[in-house]
Amino acid sequence: MNRTVLLVGVGIAATLLGVLFIGLGKNPNEIRSPLIDRPAPTFALREVGTGRTVDLAQLKGTPVVLNFWATWCAPCWDEHPILVANAKMLPNVQFLGVVFQDEESKILSFLNQRGSSYPTVVDERGKTAIAYGIGGVPETFFLDANGVIVAKFSGPMSNEALQENLRKAFRR
Amino acid sequence: MMIVLLLLLQLKVPDAASFVGPPQGTPLTGQQLTQRAHEVSGLLRCPVCQGMAVADSPAEMAVNMKAQVHELLARGYTEEQILKYFELSYGQFVLLRPKFEGVNRLVWLLPIGALLVGIGLVFFKLRKLESQHVAPPAVDDPYVDRVRNLVRGDKP
Repeated sequence: MNRTVLLVGVGIAATLLGVLFIGLGKNPNEIRSPLIDRPAPTFALREVGTGRTVDLAQLKGTPVVLNFWATWCAPCWDEHPILVANAKMLPNVQFLGVVFQDEESKILSFLNQRGSSYPTVVDERGKTAIAYGIGGVPETFFLDANGVIVAKFSGPMSNEALQENLRKAFRR
Repeated sequence: MMIVLLLLLQLKVPDAASFVGPPQGTPLTGQQLTQRAHEVSGLLRCPVCQGMAVADSPAEMAVNMKAQVHELLARGYTEEQILKYFELSYGQFVLLRPKFEGVNRLVWLLPIGALLVGIGLVFFKLRKLESQHVAPPAVDDPYVDRVRNLVRGDKP
């Protein structure tokens, strides 16, 4: 085989393997969102069950865990008990659920069956989800006390991921 | 009815103005609005589909995004502002046509570079083949000698 062709082939293969190797080292759940280090887009949405308005701006002063979810999303079922338990254990953190592409009756039924310890609001036409760059659920944003987004986590939340990302929110 | 209206007035969704400022274009209406909404949605990637444009996807997320494009055009936002708004939320991933900047330049330049290198290699190889002197094979065969003489017009 021609030596030059062999060298070029080996070079291309090594480059591709290098790129793959770099990708393997990354956590697919930790998404680099363009919103990180920027003020969280503000919204005031209707709370499921009570009908009262929950305004994100009014939650300033405390770190916020903003969880986008839906009842038709199986991984959301898995993370729900973790979020509920942590919301009970962490009174200095405000948890807020945002449900989109769903029906209120199903949300209420879900929360009644599986419990709730924090407010859940409805994103009627998905505008809030779009502003937050939601591609799928569950996705969770961590806001510091100033309302700045410090982290985005994609996929079902674990206790470890929650603690790790909350540390970022408290570090500010 | 009044209570419902008051409740709705209190509700607030994130506004594009907080991302890209006030509208810088002319509000569109009617057929022009529908057509531009389809064109601009065609430049956005549906985040829950496999390589489909928002304009072509029936997914609920894409339908919501297209509705948002429609609304922003009706409010007078320009195509650039709308694309910027989505880019600030989703990142450049949402743009079906990557921008010619930073590492993205490679997406445009590498295929052109590869093509030029290919053409160069073919040219180089052809020149090399042309310059090589190919000597006629020394064949000591009476049959071949006879054919050669015939071609030259000599008598056998």
